[in-house]
Amino acid sequence: MATTLTAELTPELTPDFTAASHNLSVEQISRPSLSYWEDAWIRLKKNTRAIISLYIVIFLALFTLAGPLVWQVDPSLQDLNQISQAPSWPKTALLAAPYERWQPIILDDFPSEPDTFPDVIPAPDGLQTIGLATTQQIRLRWNPVVGAGGYSIYRNNHLPEGLNDLGLPLATTMGGNEISYEDRLNLEARKYYYSVVPTDGIDEGDKYVTLEVIPTIAITRAEATARGLISAASDLPEGASLTLHFHPFGTDYLGRDMLARLMEGARVSLFIGICAPFLFVLIGILYGGFAGYFGGQLDSTLMRFADFVVALPFLLFMILFKIAFGIGPGESGIIPMLIALVLLSWPGTARLVRGQVLQIRNNGYIDAARLLGAKNSYLVLRHILPNTMGVILVSLTFAVPGAIFTEAFLSFIGMGVAPPTPSWGSMCNEGVKTMLSHPHELIFPATFISVTVLAFNLLGDGLTEALDSRMRSR
Amino acid sequence: MLAYTMKRLMAGVITVWFIATATFVAMHMVPGDPLMNDKAVTAEIRKNLEIKYGLDKPVGEQYLIFMGNMLQGDFGISFTQQNRRVNDIIRDHFPVSATLGVLALFFATIGGVVWGALTAVYRNRLPDIIIMFMVILGISVPSFVFAALGQLLLVNINSALGFSLVPVAGWGTISHMLMPSLVLGLSTMALLTRLMRSSMLEVINEDYIKTAKAKGLSPLRIFFKHQLRNAILPVITILGPQIAAITTGGFVVELVFAIPGLGRYFVQAVQQLDYTVIMGTTVFFGAFLVLMVILVDILYGFIDPRVRLQ
Amino acid sequence: MSDRILEVDNLSVEFATYGGTVKAVRGVSFHVNRGETLAIVGESGCGKSVTVQAIMGIIPMPPGKITGGSARLNGKDILGLPAKQANQFRGVEIGMIFQDPMTSLNPTMTIGDQISETLMVHRGLSYKDASALAVQLLDKTKIAEAAKRAKQYPFEFSGGMLQRAMIAQSLACNPAVLMADEPTTALDVTIQAQILELMAELQRTENMSIILITHDLAVVARMADRVAVMYAGQIIESGSVDDIFYRSSHPYTLGLKEAMPSNKGDRDKKLSPILGSPPDLFHPPVGCGYFARCPYAMKVCEHQQPPEYLLAGDTTHQARCWLQHAGAPVNKRLYQTGANHAD
Repeated sequence: MATTLTAELTPELTPDFTAASHNLSVEQISRPSLSYWEDAWIRLKKNTRAIISLYIVIFLALFTLAGPLVWQVDPSLQDLNQISQAPSWPKTALLAAPYERWQPIILDDFPSEPDTFPDVIPAPDGLQTIGLATTQQIRLRWNPVVGAGGYSIYRNNHLPEGLNDLGLPLATTMGGNEISYEDRLNLEARKYYYSVVPTDGIDEGDKYVTLEVIPTIAITRAEATARGLISAASDLPEGASLTLHFHPFGTDYLGRDMLARLMEGARVSLFIGICAPFLFVLIGILYGGFAGYFGGQLDSTLMRFADFVVALPFLLFMILFKIAFGIGPGESGIIPMLIALVLLSWPGTARLVRGQVLQIRNNGYIDAARLLGAKNSYLVLRHILPNTMGVILVSLTFAVPGAIFTEAFLSFIGMGVAPPTPSWGSMCNEGVKTMLSHPHELIFPATFISVTVLAFNLLGDGLTEALDSRMRSR
Repeated sequence: MLAYTMKRLMAGVITVWFIATATFVAMHMVPGDPLMNDKAVTAEIRKNLEIKYGLDKPVGEQYLIFMGNMLQGDFGISFTQQNRRVNDIIRDHFPVSATLGVLALFFATIGGVVWGALTAVYRNRLPDIIIMFMVILGISVPSFVFAALGQLLLVNINSALGFSLVPVAGWGTISHMLMPSLVLGLSTMALLTRLMRSSMLEVINEDYIKTAKAKGLSPLRIFFKHQLRNAILPVITILGPQIAAITTGGFVVELVFAIPGLGRYFVQAVQQLDYTVIMGTTVFFGAFLVLMVILVDILYGFIDPRVRLQ
Repeated sequence: MSDRILEVDNLSVEFATYGGTVKAVRGVSFHVNRGETLAIVGESGCGKSVTVQAIMGIIPMPPGKITGGSARLNGKDILGLPAKQANQFRGVEIGMIFQDPMTSLNPTMTIGDQISETLMVHRGLSYKDASALAVQLLDKTKIAEAAKRAKQYPFEFSGGMLQRAMIAQSLACNPAVLMADEPTTALDVTIQAQILELMAELQRTENMSIILITHDLAVVARMADRVAVMYAGQIIESGSVDDIFYRSSHPYTLGLKEAMPSNKGDRDKKLSPILGSPPDLFHPPVGCGYFARCPYAMKVCEHQQPPEYLLAGDTTHQARCWLQHAGAPVNKRLYQTGANHAD
């Protein structure tokens, strides 16, 4: 009790006991008054994650709408020189000479059938390429091995780890003196490992030699002309290099440009992802608002029906409705999917809006407005609708990722948009088949789906927080 | 409680009737004659089917026959697989889907509760931030991507080990089930984690936690007996709808992992326009989901005394 | 001074929030004697609940923080102890009941289990013994059919019954002090009287001290032996119940009294509310916290904290007001004992 003083006059302290002049009755308003939306916007702006998401959404809109104007590549054009290309800078190719049939090298001074049968046939040496290895052809030769009655040639994408890991068997030459092989099988501009295993004419030995080959991209004059890389009258000499079409995001398994397809796919995915929620949220508002506003028997009947629709197994009925609405030849199936999605998704919003309307309807200010003679239409427009807007906006934001997911799911299991129309989901479906060798074909569309869904989810979280009236007091 | 259960079951029966009707209507909207579309139908089956379903009869009568058969639990004969009953197809393939789904739900619930509780305990600290980041990923990445990544992971693990530790695809043993059910449960797990976290944080601010502290209970006891127990309740209520979500994801996972489940069979039936299989599977799945939601609600009643006793 | 069971000295508590640091309790000192009732009175947000919760160690930390002071229970400092040590007195030597019985009991545990939990934890009783004792406790708080009620859940109880159960729970280990944080605020007026009566009766039989937190002067008048009036995180006046009601020495106490309806028959007398609102404790005023609302404010009040004056002729009556300074002008409505205005 150190501060306790007795009520005695302390000489050194002479406080000013004149009355203070201050106004007691005026309450000070310490914070500026903000409207609901101003306040929500300020709070949303403070939420870094939500703002980044907002930028992502804006970027996606630009990517979808303005992208094709900037990147004018036909998404269905097949660039057969560059199939399943990983993303890279523009590639150059050699203008290859027209193909000439190549005679295999068969030695005259070496026996075709082995005359000695050693226990172990040694691996051949001197395995090398003949001429320039190009994507048109790779020509190999090696030195003959005593005791060999032929040679098996294998090709692999990685360095073989043993006899069982040599890769794709290409051929087996007939005779120990046939010491060359020409590979023209689907060559791409990537690293190959060729292995040669001598045989005794029937069985393969267990020694082999491996050669690493990286072919140069080469393209024939006819192909180059057909792709529009050179004009028909061009006198570009053979062996000259020319620049191939640029695919910044690589190409898919048919050589189609990934970037162009992602843009085209974004149109489909975002069209469904945004149109469907708008439609079913609108239906939900009308249905739920109607039920909630009028209440009573009508309300319970309407909501009972909504409950039934909710109980339908969603994905099964999506597929059922989609085939029920039918896809004609040449149609993409986007509209049937949209209708199916709207038909099955409206009850969520309807329930939400109904609940909100019921709650607002019971508020005192509605009764007060009614007592002052407000008409129904005025009540709905001035009081009920503005007060449900927050909830509606949030549910709309969360509906977008749901719809994008549904489209992706359906397209992934082959029940979505019909080929050749791309959507992110159908691109994933194609990409998953080649994911081991060409992961970019899966990674790009999957990333786009994930980032889009993420952005809308975080934006929805941000909006929920910003529009939550409980947060306003803070 | 009994009256409540009966009421729920009655409502469930009506819901299943609605699902069956909607299925019937949807199938009859498909353009063309179901039998004409399919070359696989021989004259013999066609005759049998026409008798069985009265396909020459008016739609109203067909509907009554359809409902009558369904009431007897008879889903008919497959259009594409001669003389194979839809009931047999469901019996053969549904247990696979159900096992997958139950395992996934198990992983999701355990994971969701544990992770959610952890994030709440470490609120706004590093473990919370890391787990919540994973949760956002889990919600935003579609399950087929997880399925593909899971498969990729298995391929890499197996090739690194030099033998097949866990099979990459197929069905049969426990080891077949692990990765698919984990992948299938991921998004639900993420959702439940989020819910559990907010539920835990809500409960920790409840007055009764303050009471428990004032009673002099140890933090551990408060956590388990008072906080966790009350926080789990809202998580249980959403399990019913989540079973439906897991079924949906099951289609994709069955496809990627080559699992002979009913979902994959349904997709195949749709591709072949096998009408009886489509209708039978849809109604069966619908009824199953309705039953599950009711079961979860009843289970919830047993856990929450406020529901049980009112 | 001899029988002080709980003595709080210069307690300060802050809360770190988004908007800044709230200095909720600013140097509060009081004590409770054995067997007496101390009422802490004040309007919402004055820091009275925070004070007792800080003593109990149940304010969430963070955001809460005890920035100074001490609280001695039987001479031992109990402020800011870690959970393990704090649990040796929480629920054992100090019991606590809360404002809203509806939300203060675990909704998924039976009433009996919640009471026996305390007994099992602190007294090491078996579940069976603890349950039996829980029924006895419920019986003691005048809950009819206690054995049956013990097996019920909180939602099956009425508010008044729940508060009885809360009291039974807090009495489980025969505490020396019962802290009651607005125990009757959430209840009907008729139930309020019953609960207060029950508390008074149990106080007599168990010889407990009660710290009663309330904003209701009628409850104070009925229950308290001594009163501490809190405003803006400080005790601005304290003394016996007669001191506070009949010898009010602080303008705020006077204001509280005048805002309370009386049944003395003077119907024409208007209630006079205290104008304005309490100060923003994010930025507590430098001078007297009541300055902005005080009808007798002087220039000194704005810039200098008034010291705590012990009023002459009394051992416990204290007030924190410049008007108690010996040189301050005479104010006819206040009880003043300084040199200028000694009566």
